[in-house]
Amino acid sequence: MTVHHQATAPAAQPDEEFRARLREFLAEHHPGRPPKDPRERLAWTKAWLATSFDNGYAGPSWPREFGGMELSFAQQVVYHEEVARARVPGPLGTGLGIAAPTIIRYGTQEQKQRWLAPMLRGDTVWAQGYSEPGAGSDLPSLRTTARRAGEEYIVNGQKVWTSHAADADIFFALVRTGTRESRQKGITYLVIDAHAPGVQVRPLRDLTGGHLFAEVFFDDVRVPVEMRIGEENDGWRLARTSLGHERAAGALNQAEMYRRVLTELEELARERGQLADALVRDRFVDLEIRVRVIRYNAERTIAGILARGAAGAASSISRLLITSFEQDIHEFAVDLLGPAGLLGKSAPQAVQRSRWLVGFLRTRASTIGAGTREIQLNTVAEQVLGLPHDPGMPPR
Amino acid sequence: MTVGYSAEHNELRQLVRGFLREKSPSREVRRLMDDQRNRDDAVWAQMAGQLGLPGIVVPTAYGGAGYGPAELGIVLEEMGRALLVAPYLATVALAGQALATSGDADAQERWLPGIADGSLTATLAVAEGSGSWDLGEVAASAEPDGELWAVSGTKLFVVDGHTADLLLVVARAPDGLGVFAVGGEAPGVERAKLDTLDLTRDLASVTLRGPLAVRVGADTDAMAWLSWVGDLALAALAAEQIGGAARCLELSVEYAKVREQFGRPIGSFQAIKHKCANMLLEVECGRSAVYHASAALAEGQPDASIAATLAYAYCSRAFTNAAKECIQIHGGIGYTWEHDAHLYLRRAKSSELLFGPPGRQRARLAELAGI
Repeated sequence: MTVHHQATAPAAQPDEEFRARLREFLAEHHPGRPPKDPRERLAWTKAWLATSFDNGYAGPSWPREFGGMELSFAQQVVYHEEVARARVPGPLGTGLGIAAPTIIRYGTQEQKQRWLAPMLRGDTVWAQGYSEPGAGSDLPSLRTTARRAGEEYIVNGQKVWTSHAADADIFFALVRTGTRESRQKGITYLVIDAHAPGVQVRPLRDLTGGHLFAEVFFDDVRVPVEMRIGEENDGWRLARTSLGHERAAGALNQAEMYRRVLTELEELARERGQLADALVRDRFVDLEIRVRVIRYNAERTIAGILARGAAGAASSISRLLITSFEQDIHEFAVDLLGPAGLLGKSAPQAVQRSRWLVGFLRTRASTIGAGTREIQLNTVAEQVLGLPHDPGMPPR
Repeated sequence: MTVGYSAEHNELRQLVRGFLREKSPSREVRRLMDDQRNRDDAVWAQMAGQLGLPGIVVPTAYGGAGYGPAELGIVLEEMGRALLVAPYLATVALAGQALATSGDADAQERWLPGIADGSLTATLAVAEGSGSWDLGEVAASAEPDGELWAVSGTKLFVVDGHTADLLLVVARAPDGLGVFAVGGEAPGVERAKLDTLDLTRDLASVTLRGPLAVRVGADTDAMAWLSWVGDLALAALAAEQIGGAARCLELSVEYAKVREQFGRPIGSFQAIKHKCANMLLEVECGRSAVYHASAALAEGQPDASIAATLAYAYCSRAFTNAAKECIQIHGGIGYTWEHDAHLYLRRAKSSELLFGPPGRQRARLAELAGI
C-alpha cells in the first residue's frame, strides 16, 4: 500500500449562526461592570444569571427539560468562547460544575424539578461540603456523620475549605452513614439546607488574609431523607459524576485568560525597561512557550472530543500545566518588581494594586485545592499510564 | 486543520508503525549504527516502493504523495519512536522540502522523482564551523562558471552528508545567498563521517574545493525561502523528537510495572509514578505543540514560524528529559550498552543541539513573539 493524498473532508464548521444569536443576546443584555461592594456584586451576579436563564442562555450542557440548552459539544465551545469574550459573570457557587451532573444523572425526577432550575437561575447558591480537617487527600476517611432517625438524618461534624459558604443556600455534602472504617462504602450524598438550625458557617482566614473559604459546622442538623441523592452508602460513586466534556469546552477560555495575563506582565516589564535584560527575556520566553502550549493542548483536547468523543491524555495533564503556570507567572512578576513587589494594596507605591503579590499568595492553593498536585500525578500515573496502585494505601 | 485525529492520519501512523516494528527492531538499529552506510538498502527501497514514504511531501506531479508537514510529522514521529537508521530526515525533511518549496520547476523535475522513488538521497548543508544554522553565518561561496557555479567552503554537521547522492549547499554568490546542488561524488567534494554522540544518525563534514553546481531557486528570495525551509525542518525534527520521547516514556512505564524491588513493582512507588506522570505531561504538551506547528505550516498561518520554533524548543527539552528519566527509572540496567536507553539519550541530546544551541532557539522565539 502506498500513501496517497486524498482531499480531506471539510472540517465541521462550528455553528456560526448560533454564535451570532448568542453574541446579540450578550450585547443586548450585558450587565456592565461589576459593582465594588460585595453585597451589590452578589445581587448583580444573580440578576445576570436570571436574565440569561430566562432568555434560554444558561446551562450549555444541561438537558432542556431543566432549563438547560442541551448544546452539542462544538456549540458548547462557542458558548464558552463568547461568554468569556463578553466578560459577563460566571456561575455562582460550585453547584453547577460539581453537584448538578450528579443530580442530573442520579437524582429522582422530583429532586431534579426542585433543585436544578433554581440553581441554574442563580436563585439558590450551592456550596460543597466534602473536605474535612482530617480528610483532605484521603477524602474517603471523612467523619461527618448522618444518623438515620425515621424519615430524617441527623448530621454532625465539620467541613472545611468550603467556598461561597457565606452566600450559600444549600450544601451538597458527603457524609458517613456506614461504620467509621467503611471508607468509600459508607458514604452518602446528602443535600443540606444551609439555613437549617444547627448549621454554622465560620469564615476561615486564609494565608492571603482574605475570607474566600469557610468552615461549616453541623450540630444535630435534621435533614429529610428525600434530600439524599442515590442510595444510602452509594455517595462516593455518585460524587465522581461529570457531565460529558463541558469542562473541556471551556479550556480555550482559560488559555486565553492566561495569554492576557502574560501580555499584561510583559507590558509592565517593558514600561519598567526590564526587557533589555537577557535573563528577564529568557524567563518570558519560558512563560510564552508555556502559555501557548496551554492553548495548543486545549485545542487538541477539543479536537479529540470532536473527532472521536474522547478527551484523551492531553486533557488529563491540563490542570497540572495550568496550576504550575499560574504559580510561576505570579512569582516571576513579584521577582521582577523587586522590593516594590512586596507592597500591599494600601501602600501608595504599590504596583497595579498589588495584583501580582496577591496572586503569588493566592496561587499557593492552585496545587492543593480540588486534589493536590501529588495526588493528581498519582491519578495520571495509575489511570492514564496504568502503573500499579501503592499496596501500602487503601484501595481506590 | 486537526492533526493526528483524522482516519487518514491514523491509518498512516499505523502503516508506518507496523512497518518499522518489523524492519527497525533494536537489533537492526544496532547493526546499522556500526555500518558506514547509514541505511539498509532493501528497507529504504521498500519504504519507497511499498509505502511511498520518501515521496510523502513530493508533489504528485513528480511521483510523490503530495502531502505536507502534518503527514511528514506523523511519519517522523514513528521513525523517532523506532530510532530508524536511514537518511530520511536529510532526504525528505531537509532537501525534499527545500526542493518542494523552491519554486524552481527545473530542479524539481530533475531531482524530486528520484527522491520519491527512493533512487536518490539528498541533504541540505547550512552549518559551518560554528554549527549555527543562522544564514548570516554562512561563509561558503559560489562563483559563476559558465552556466554552472563553482562552490567552495567547508560545511560541518551535515546530516547524512557523507552518503547523500545530492548535496544542496547554501553558499554566498556575488548577488547574495543561494542554494547550489552538488553531486555527492562530484570531483572537488571531500566528505567524512564525523565521530559524534548520536550513533543512529550520522553527521558529516563536507569540504568543497570548487565542484561544479547547479543553482536552485535562483528566482526565489533565498532568505525568505530558506527561513521557511528552516521552519519546516524545525517542526519535522520536533515531531521526530516527540516520537522518541514517547518511546522513552513507554519503556519506562513497561519496566516500572514489572521490575520489583522491596517486594513490589517500582511503579507502585510515588517517586516513580510522579516521574512518569511528569514525562507524560511533557510528551503530551510536546505533541500538542508539534501538531499545532505542522498545521500552522501546512496552512501558512502567520504564527507558523513561532509555532515551529516553539515546538522544537519544547520537544528538545522534553526528549532529553525523557531519555534521562528513562535511564534513571531503569537504574543499573539503563546504564548498560545493551539497553537501548542510551541510544535515545544520544539521539535526544544530538537533536536538541542539531539546529543550534537551545539558547539560540529561545532568543529567536523572543524576537518572533515580540518580547
